[in-house]
Amino acid sequence: MNQPKARCLILACGNTLRSDDGVGPWLAEWAENRFRSEPDVRVVSRQQWTPELAEEIARTHSVLFIDCSVESAPGSVSLIPVHPAAATQGLATHHLGAPELLALSRELYDSRPLNAQLLTIGAGSTELGEEFSDSVTAALPEACRLIEEIVLQWLG
Amino acid sequence: MSQTITIDPVTRLEGHGKITIQLNGQGEVEDAHFHVTQVRGFERFSEGRPYYEMPSLMARICGICPVSHLIASAKACEAIMSVRIPHTAAQLRRMLNLAQMVQSHALSFFHLSSPDLLLGMESDPKARNIFGVLAARPDLGRAGIGLRRFGQHIIELLANKRIHPGWVVPGGVTEPLSAAHRDEILAMLPEAYANLGLALTAYKQIAGTFKQEIEVFANFPSNYMGLINEDESIEFTDGAARLIDPQGAIIEDGITASKYTEVIGEAVEPYSYTKFAYYKPLGYPQGSYRVGPLARLNIVKSMGTPLAEKELVEFKQLAAGPVQSSFHYHHARLIEALYGIEKIEQILADPRILDKHVRAIAGVNRLEGAGQAEAPRGTLMHHYKVDENGLITWANLVIATGQNNNAMNKGVLQSAKAYVKDGKFTEGALNRVEAVIRTFDPCLSCSSHAFGQMPLVLTLVSADGEVVDQLVR
Repeated sequence: MNQPKARCLILACGNTLRSDDGVGPWLAEWAENRFRSEPDVRVVSRQQWTPELAEEIARTHSVLFIDCSVESAPGSVSLIPVHPAAATQGLATHHLGAPELLALSRELYDSRPLNAQLLTIGAGSTELGEEFSDSVTAALPEACRLIEEIVLQWLG
Repeated sequence: MSQTITIDPVTRLEGHGKITIQLNGQGEVEDAHFHVTQVRGFERFSEGRPYYEMPSLMARICGICPVSHLIASAKACEAIMSVRIPHTAAQLRRMLNLAQMVQSHALSFFHLSSPDLLLGMESDPKARNIFGVLAARPDLGRAGIGLRRFGQHIIELLANKRIHPGWVVPGGVTEPLSAAHRDEILAMLPEAYANLGLALTAYKQIAGTFKQEIEVFANFPSNYMGLINEDESIEFTDGAARLIDPQGAIIEDGITASKYTEVIGEAVEPYSYTKFAYYKPLGYPQGSYRVGPLARLNIVKSMGTPLAEKELVEFKQLAAGPVQSSFHYHHARLIEALYGIEKIEQILADPRILDKHVRAIAGVNRLEGAGQAEAPRGTLMHHYKVDENGLITWANLVIATGQNNNAMNKGVLQSAKAYVKDGKFTEGALNRVEAVIRTFDPCLSCSSHAFGQMPLVLTLVSADGEVVDQLVR
C-alpha cells in the first residue's frame, strides 16, 4: 500500500481461451498500448477478479471495470456506473463482481473512488477458442472509443 | 430405517466434492465419505508430449499451487536429463516455492477458514464469509490480503507471472534475479512479518475456544510424511521424505523421488475420483498417512529459522508425541508461513543469489525420472517415462490431497458422529463437518488432476437408500 495513487485504474477480466470471454483482456492490452505514455493510468488484467484487487482499487481515484456479459445481446456495448454492494451468500474466494470489489475496498481501506464504471460487451460465444465471434469483433471499435473517452475525461 | 446425509458441494474448498453420511436404523452415524466428484486426466493426455513441455503442462492442473507442479515436474525432467541444476537456480526455485506457500496458506487461513474461526461455526451462514470477517476484524482482512500480495508479487517478480509462470524449466530457471527485484522483495518483508504476527496472535487468542472441535476434527493417531533436510529441519523443495508412525518413531527415512514407487501405493475407492495413497509395507488402509503442514511439523526437529523455531517449540507442546488433531493444521500453516518469510530473507542474503548461471542444459539420458517437492497441502510427486526421443509414454502424479484422503474420510466420520444426533443435523453441524475438510486445505483440482470452486451438498439417506433430507449450498 506504499505506491502513490494512480488517477485511473482499468481492471479487466476474462479467459482468453473461451472465445468472447477474452474480450476484457484484449481491451486491457489495447488500453495499455493506448495509454502507455500516461503514468496516471494503470491497467490490470486478470482471468478472474479476486479479493486482493480491493487494494488496487484503493490506490486509484477512478476505476473502469471491463468484462464480457452473457446477459447482454451479443456485441452490445454498455457503460454503466458501479456502486458498492457486498455479496452475502455464496461468496467466492476466487472471483468477485465489480460491486463486491468496490465494497471490499471500502470496508478494508475506506476507499471511495471518485468514479467507478463498468464497461461490458455482450458475448456471442464462450465456447473453447481464441477467436471472437463476429458480433464482438464488430463491437471492438466502439468499446475502444468508449474506453478512450472515459479515461481522457477522468484524466481531465 | 437407515438414512444418508449428503453435503454437496462442500464449500470454501479448492474444487468440487461432496460428503455423504450414512445413518443406521437408530439414527446413529454409521459411515461417512468425502467424495471427489471431478475428473481431469492430465496423466493420460500428457502421453506423447515432449518431456520438456511437462512443467508448463502440469502447472495447468492448478491455479493455486502451479509452482509446486512446476518444480516437481522440472525435477522429474532433470532426473531424465541426469543433470544437477546450478546452486542459484535451486535457491531461486526454493524462494518461488516458499512465496507460493505463503500466499496459499494466507488464502486457506484468511479466506477459507477464518470465517469459521473468527465468526464461529454457528454464526449466521449469510455473513460467514470473507466480508463478515472484514466487518469483524478489518485489520486481519488487510493482513490476509497483504500476505497474499507478498507471495504473489514475489512469484511475479521472479517468474513474470502470478499464475502458471514458465520460468521454471528442466535444468533450472530461465532468468536470473535482478538486484532491483531482490531489493523490492526485501522492502516487502517488514510488512509481511507484521501481517503474519497479527494472524498468529489472533489465532492463539481464539484457538482455546474450539476445544470440542479440536477433539473431533480428525483427531486420531496416524502416520505422517513430509520432506526433511539431513539436519532434520523442514524442507519444501529438496531433501527426501520421512515417514513417522503415530508415536513419532521413524518408519522410513530418505525416501527419494526415485524410491517412492517402492514404498508408496495408491488404492482406489468406488466413491471418489481421488486415489488413496498408502505406505506399501503396511498395506491399505493401515499404511495411510497424513501430509501437509501438520505432518511437516510433526516429522521435523527444527524449522531452521529463529522466529519459526520458537513457534515450533510451542506447537510441539500441544502433545507428547505427534500433534494428532487436524484442527491444528491451521496453527501449523501460520508457523510455516512465518518460516517462509524468514527463509526468503535468508535466501536473499545468499551472496550468489544474483549469479547469472541459472540453467543446466542436457538431453535425454534416462528413460524414466521422478521428482518431488512440498506443495502447500503436502508432498507432491511427479513420475514420468519417456521414449528415446523424449516423448512421454507414461506419467503418474501422487498428490497431497490423495495422501490425506483416508484421514479426511475418517475425520468426516468422526465429526459426523459427534455432531449428527438422532438422525438430525443443524446448519452448524453441517458447517463443522465441512470445516474438518477445510483444515486439510485439500485441492481437489490437483487430486483429480479439476477446475473450479467447491460448493457443498449434504444428503441424509435412509438404510434402504432413500434420500430423506438434503442441504444444498
